[in-house]
Amino acid sequence: MNTIAIVLVVGLVLFTIALSIFSRRFTRTTADFYLAGRKVGSFSNASAISGDYLSAASFLGVAGAVYASGLDGVWYAAGFAGGFMVVVLFIASALRRFGEYTVADFAFGRFGTNRIRLVTVTSVLLVSLFYMAPQMFGAGTTWKILVGTGFFPADANGLFLGVDPVYLSGVTVVTAIMMFYVAMGGMKGTTLNQIFQFWLLMTAMILVVVFAFGHGFGYPSALAKAASGADVNKEAVGKLVGTKTMTVADLTKVDPKSGKAPIEAAKATMSPESFAKVEEAVAAGDETAKVDVLLPQKNKLHEMRDMLFTEPGHRYNAFDQFSMVLALVLGTAGLPHILNRYYTNPSGSAARRSTFWVLVFIGVFYILAPIAGLAGREAIAKAAAAGTAPPNAALVDGILVKSDALMPTIAQVIGGQWLMGIVAAGAFAAMFSTIGGLLIASASAIGHDVYEKYINPNASEARRVFVGKTSVIGFAALAWTLGWAIPYFGLDKAYPALIAMMVTWAFAVGASAFVPMLLTGIWWRGTTEHGAMWGMLVGLISSIGIIFMNIFQQLKIPAFAADQGFIGFLASLTFPVLFTFPLALLTIYVVSKVNPKLPENVDAIWMRIHGTAHERYEAQHGLDKVGSMFGGGSK
Amino acid sequence: MSEPAAGPVVDTGVAGKYIQYGDHIDTLETVDTVFKEQRKLSFAYGALFFGVTLAIPALTVWVEGWYAVPIWGGFTWNYLVVSLLYFAFLWIMAWVYAKQADRLDEKLAHMADAAAAELKSGGGVS
Repeated sequence: MNTIAIVLVVGLVLFTIALSIFSRRFTRTTADFYLAGRKVGSFSNASAISGDYLSAASFLGVAGAVYASGLDGVWYAAGFAGGFMVVVLFIASALRRFGEYTVADFAFGRFGTNRIRLVTVTSVLLVSLFYMAPQMFGAGTTWKILVGTGFFPADANGLFLGVDPVYLSGVTVVTAIMMFYVAMGGMKGTTLNQIFQFWLLMTAMILVVVFAFGHGFGYPSALAKAASGADVNKEAVGKLVGTKTMTVADLTKVDPKSGKAPIEAAKATMSPESFAKVEEAVAAGDETAKVDVLLPQKNKLHEMRDMLFTEPGHRYNAFDQFSMVLALVLGTAGLPHILNRYYTNPSGSAARRSTFWVLVFIGVFYILAPIAGLAGREAIAKAAAAGTAPPNAALVDGILVKSDALMPTIAQVIGGQWLMGIVAAGAFAAMFSTIGGLLIASASAIGHDVYEKYINPNASEARRVFVGKTSVIGFAALAWTLGWAIPYFGLDKAYPALIAMMVTWAFAVGASAFVPMLLTGIWWRGTTEHGAMWGMLVGLISSIGIIFMNIFQQLKIPAFAADQGFIGFLASLTFPVLFTFPLALLTIYVVSKVNPKLPENVDAIWMRIHGTAHERYEAQHGLDKVGSMFGGGSK
Repeated sequence: MSEPAAGPVVDTGVAGKYIQYGDHIDTLETVDTVFKEQRKLSFAYGALFFGVTLAIPALTVWVEGWYAVPIWGGFTWNYLVVSLLYFAFLWIMAWVYAKQADRLDEKLAHMADAAAAELKSGGGVS
């Protein structure tokens, strides 16, 4: 890592901590700790929500996905942005008007029983953990890419606690910083940090694209070059080529269907100089040795067509073209750390405005990220050909072996050490902002939904805030454990793009567990507590069940193999939401019809969700003013 | 300033049930009227959103002219829409929807004020 990058990342960490210490003075009540006093303006809230939403997976992963996959990577980005339309159309204002602290509060207030609150709390924790896992894995791998050094001692196998010590150092550093700043600053500190972190990562992305255009990048012409393959490899004109790390055994194994081994395709694709290294590794005779090769990519969608950068099919077959976008679009409305932020708006109308600005901010981000991905193909290949590519970037014939390294690599190629430093700070900002939101959501589920409601309802404000902070520490420890467990159990080897896959799992669980309950709770008066509870349980269990079946299939457990009939089919679903969301919705409808007992105060609940008397009263008395996160309401 | 005390839901026998914050009242009748309009608005926009969002993969799977024919440099219709135009669609839709939803809120406020005046004149609310 270069000196400028180290200085900028350390500066980011210090500023983050200072902001948390500063906000601590204004965090006295539970509304302050969990909701920033409900005084966050639309623009600020939109910045914070965008920071919450754009994790390292988006900052590093989307540009990397476009770099490696072309159009399917762009479609992945568009799906992320579309999710907020469901939030603005169906959820944002109603959730804010209900005026509670958490999603579990909504479930309790709407349906009136403790058991639905507890089912919701359990779901919140599980969804948060599913989302936390890729963030922690991203923290470790980003640390490895950007910092490259650690502080844990390595054993004889080069490991510490069974995993890479450099990776674990990254997980530990990020966990410690997050634990400190969220516990210290609560939602106010987290909100301020997320606003700052969002604009930092956005600036980094804008700068990369501006520098790319400054280096002669033209969008339509670069795409034309990429479509022909001439941007990276003149030998493979007309086909998308990609790198793959394989063992010598796999590389030389003949496929019974085609009668050819992958090494033949690699020979036809790679330059003679690069392929000579592969031949050298094969000749050494170690079957377990790993080599990086360049291979032509297959089209999963239109199998008879060549795979081109500008055409669909590198990542998604016909089924996944639909199910991926539905998972992202519906899943956004099921992320507890995003939904909780809607309670920080001063009114339902402000919640809608916030969401509009979120769409603008993340829309701009997701327009820019694919440009960075495309620009990286030619810029890095040119630098490799000229011998000026960064020495720490692993390349095969000018193509990155790990596409997640695209952002720091292109930054270094087109903007030098300064731009690389800004991108490094942007990547850590993306991690901090998302993990911060998840820690607050998890802490509120335990501290507010369980402790304040069931364990000690008469606790003082100071005690409640203390429990909230303790919950943050507990969850930070759990997050660290997840970060350690992923490589320890070999999950990173089972999935080639693990971060993107795990993020999609979290979206799928959220979409299946919460979104049907929220949609019916808000829009169908006849939704009963029984229906909502069973719908949530069915959505939660079915989505988690299919995800684990998919994991077992990838780990090659025979009972879940693709040829095992219906079980094999379910296990092969990359995005289970296409089945689990309608299943949960149907469960709510059927159970509500079979046992149509509504809460006695359903009329009052209905008026609370859809009425505006409270907001009009607050507007009349100036209680809806924003910009007063640090004290009384501004006039 | 102290927090407002929410009035209880009371069956007045005049305009159905209502909820009161200070001088501001929502009746079940007014909320229900606006809810129906809000539902119409949200679901109409929802249908448009899902229609467009699912039309993209449908064209991607089945229409060669959509995904394989360059129209501007290397841009195909597919690439142009998902990399640029889809976002413009989301922004315009969210903006127009938010404005229309705000107007519905205002409508509820006017209806609620009229209902409150009626309740007060009938002695239903102190």
